[in-house]
Amino acid sequence: MVLVPIYCQLPLVHFPEYDGLDENFVRIYVMDSHRVFMIGWEYPPLNSGGLGVACQGLTEALAADGGLIYFTLPYQLPSSVSHMRVLACRHPAWDEPADAPPFSAYRSVGRDSTQPAPSRHRFSPDTMAAGLPGSQLEQQVAEYAQVVTQRARQYSDFDVIHAHDWMSLPAAQQVKALSNRPMVAHVHSTEHDRIPHGHGSRYIIDAERRGLAAADYVIAVSNYTKRLLVHKYGLDPARVRVVHNGIHPLQEPAEPGRHHFAHRRPVVVFMGRMTVQKGPDYFLRLAAALVKKQPNILLVMAGSGDMYHQLLLSAAGQNLSTSVLFSGFVRDRQRQVLLDRADVLVMPSVSEPFGLVALEAAQRHTPVIVSKSSGVSEVLPAAVQLDFWDIDAMVDSIISLLNDPGQAAHQARSQLNQLDSLSWHKAAQLVKRIYHQALQKRK
Amino acid sequence: MPQLCLYFQLHQPLRLNGYDVFDLSNSSRYFDLEPDQHNAEIFRKVAAKSYLPMLRLLLELIGRHSDFCLALSCSGVFLEQAQQYRPDVIELLKQLAATGRVEFLAETYYHSLSSLFSETEFKTQIRLHSQAVHEYFGQTPTIFRNTELVYANQIGWLIAKLGFQGMLTEAVPRYLGDRPKTRLFRSYTEPSIPLLLKHAELSDDVAFRFSNRGWPGYPLTADKYLDWVNIYPADQLVNLFMDFETFGEHQWADTGIFAFFAEFVDRCVAQSWNTFVTPGQVCTPFYQHGRARPELLELPVYDVPDPISWADVDRDLTAWIDNPLQQDSIRQLYGLQDAIVRTGDMRLITDWRRLQISDHFYYMCTKWAADGDVHAYFSPYPSPYEAYRRYSIVLTDLFDRAGVTPTSGQPLY
Repeated sequence: MVLVPIYCQLPLVHFPEYDGLDENFVRIYVMDSHRVFMIGWEYPPLNSGGLGVACQGLTEALAADGGLIYFTLPYQLPSSVSHMRVLACRHPAWDEPADAPPFSAYRSVGRDSTQPAPSRHRFSPDTMAAGLPGSQLEQQVAEYAQVVTQRARQYSDFDVIHAHDWMSLPAAQQVKALSNRPMVAHVHSTEHDRIPHGHGSRYIIDAERRGLAAADYVIAVSNYTKRLLVHKYGLDPARVRVVHNGIHPLQEPAEPGRHHFAHRRPVVVFMGRMTVQKGPDYFLRLAAALVKKQPNILLVMAGSGDMYHQLLLSAAGQNLSTSVLFSGFVRDRQRQVLLDRADVLVMPSVSEPFGLVALEAAQRHTPVIVSKSSGVSEVLPAAVQLDFWDIDAMVDSIISLLNDPGQAAHQARSQLNQLDSLSWHKAAQLVKRIYHQALQKRK
Repeated sequence: MPQLCLYFQLHQPLRLNGYDVFDLSNSSRYFDLEPDQHNAEIFRKVAAKSYLPMLRLLLELIGRHSDFCLALSCSGVFLEQAQQYRPDVIELLKQLAATGRVEFLAETYYHSLSSLFSETEFKTQIRLHSQAVHEYFGQTPTIFRNTELVYANQIGWLIAKLGFQGMLTEAVPRYLGDRPKTRLFRSYTEPSIPLLLKHAELSDDVAFRFSNRGWPGYPLTADKYLDWVNIYPADQLVNLFMDFETFGEHQWADTGIFAFFAEFVDRCVAQSWNTFVTPGQVCTPFYQHGRARPELLELPVYDVPDPISWADVDRDLTAWIDNPLQQDSIRQLYGLQDAIVRTGDMRLITDWRRLQISDHFYYMCTKWAADGDVHAYFSPYPSPYEAYRRYSIVLTDLFDRAGVTPTSGQPLY
């Protein structure tokens, strides 16, 4: 008997009002374009991960629909953006170069979940000894809020405030208080995802709680995240809307196959930040078990992060030096080649609000195995979905995909079909609907 | 005044290029060897700063003093690079050889740690190296110096069996006890072999401390150094072993290292006749017609059960084989031996041997503090992890070319 996880039994999108969303509906109710004051933290090409990519996809689609967007960033973008007005909101006290993004919001907080949680009280010995970067970040977020609020006075003709993740929430609350406009908080990841098992920063969790409570509506990037917001942040489910991320169609066709490199070995890929959240240590356990069963498998780990050195030592310590290779951080063309070459991509995240890389791999005809604890599994049901800790099941699944080309091709085709229904345009329609509701509620 | 035995080591590794996972089975170029590339650039830089001026100085000193002599050892990969990138270095070495007062020592062609992992490979590389020394310099070495002076009883035994008449290594207090290192020792093996032990303090005064302003001995003058050497009486032997690059590269010309060395030699020669000896001169009296004389067994015994070296403060193998990165790289590399040699494919075999160059593992060392600084100084990579990452990718391609599937099998030792 196959056990179907509970979330699979739920409809993909909870809210009946979204069903049958069609052009007519859009024209009648949503067509009026909004002016949005959007508070961001990162944006391509200077982005540390999925947040920037999602902001780009969403704002482009909203703008294409006639929306006017002010988009704030804590740094100067090196290239110009034409679809919206980008407002660089740097505090005069910051001494980094103007185009240096403060990515530490996502990076510095990763830590080993096997270690006891440090006390994060502002003046605890832990914070005093090691927490300087954390407290700097807190200060930076507060200063960002000041500057953003000043800018909101200058550009006050907006209808709605839209804030992305916790770094933007303090600013959004202040702008809301100033302007009395409705506020939408968009959750791409929470502290509970980034640092699982409750070891996350108290300060950040509190900032998330306060900010989400202040929002009129909360957008979650998945039902997975919505459940987390309800259970861990106590949000009223009626106030949380799910909008799955979209994905841009490929500019050039994918080139799947083994002709790229390492022609004679099956290749299994991990691609992501090497932090607790992404489960790279589970991937390494998987590697050891896989190689025992089928020694010619080559595993490639792409990315960097705070667990990188530990993973190298662990791979070598298990005699996996010629079975597990580290490509380092890959971007652009190399990223594509790696996804094209991969015979299987594994995303063993411990907690993944969405998981864009799974969609990118699916676009490139690569069979994907995703953690059940992920949002992307909701929109890519053709992907194999397993518990991130279930090494045995992952091994069986990979061995069978590698040795049965028919099965792998079938899965790749089904994944591709499911991508058809995902677009940023659709996501933008849902977001506009939420703006509309927020404004209605105010009236 | 004691006898002085000088030996300087000439070696330059072949550093890996940026070979990455996308090159796997598309390319088998692991090293940039063209004259306009990385390894050549480094070689020419060191040649200009050290090899050329110091070799000229040695020629000059030999010309000036009829009783000045010394020993040099050149790794095979050094000789190859010199031949290709700076043939004038080879020319000077040949001139030195022609004086008859420079003894060339034997070592492993690829400056490898094969003595620890493969007896057959060890012997092969010694043979390749001795052939190269003979071809270049017309000498057949009789004294052996192992990579980084790595030594253990087992290695002494092998070297004795191969017919060598002496070997160089480090004086490590945990095995030497309180006995003076200024005597000739012999290995604790049957057959036995004479052992020359490096005088670490006096060698490192020049090699490491010469330009250190925080060192109480600074500035080191020829007079002062001569006083320190003269502590030892005439029946003692002081072995000054160091990297050749000490002169001009580790200690730059502007520290006065060249003038210091020349003056020191001049003063020694002025003070007494026949101060300088080579390892061969010290050891060969213990042999007759290629067989050890009974007097050899009267030398004090240096019993070294576990391998030692001249590296770091530990004088052990931890510079190359300590952390898992190093251990697994070495284990996998030597595990390939049979499959690689069996192919008879010389390009493949040469690549495999080039990957045995001990520096690859030295760069992966994660030890801290002063030793870590020394490792970082020599490393072309930003971190030991990066050294391992690149090495493991190249090693993976080597497995592929050899048609071997990786296993997590055999133990390292």
